[in-house]
Amino acid sequence: MPERLITDIGGLPAEAIPKEEVPQLFWEKHMIAMFNVLRSKGIFNTDEFRRAVEATPLEEYKKSRFYDRRTDGMTDLLVEKGIIDRGELTSRTQEVLRQGLLRHATP
Amino acid sequence: MQPRNHRILAAGEVVRIRDIGKAGHVRTPQYVRNKVGLIDCYVGLFENPEERAYGHIGCEPIPLYRVRLRQNDLWPDYVGSDCDTLVLEIYDHWLETVNSLEEPQ
Repeated sequence: MPERLITDIGGLPAEAIPKEEVPQLFWEKHMIAMFNVLRSKGIFNTDEFRRAVEATPLEEYKKSRFYDRRTDGMTDLLVEKGIIDRGELTSRTQEVLRQGLLRHATP
Repeated sequence: MQPRNHRILAAGEVVRIRDIGKAGHVRTPQYVRNKVGLIDCYVGLFENPEERAYGHIGCEPIPLYRVRLRQNDLWPDYVGSDCDTLVLEIYDHWLETVNSLEEPQ
């Protein structure tokens, strides 16, 4: 019998659900916009996206938040489809982070 | 639109949600598998998300139903009303017809 999907948690013991409103951050809005464009252009579909998120290792999934999972799932699909290169994405990300740190370092 | 090779179950028919043991992306949660309920309504024909999840677009659409289950049948420690039910959407290949709601679950 295949293992239970990480998203299939109905009936499992769980902690209380935090119900407070969380403000949506700017990058999260950007990410959702990018997600919607890629989906509406047919680059990937909702079912592929769900499958990609379900492939997250359990411990990583538990630690991640909604927008992290979306970002990672979307990225994995773009890599899988050969649209972006993971190495290139990593080096670009590192460069953006480095630039950001430089700006913060100068008073 | 009528599906080519599919039955269409009518509202009120008694069904068991099967456990087909399929790996990969599926849309039938564990807690409703092997449970018996009623067809609430036929929703329509849709491409199978279990295929679409792997990029197979354009497969023959299959019937999707809303299935109504008793909460008491789902949760042994349920404390709400006996009348409480849950409706969820289940694709045709996860369903088998059975004779009565009292079928062993």
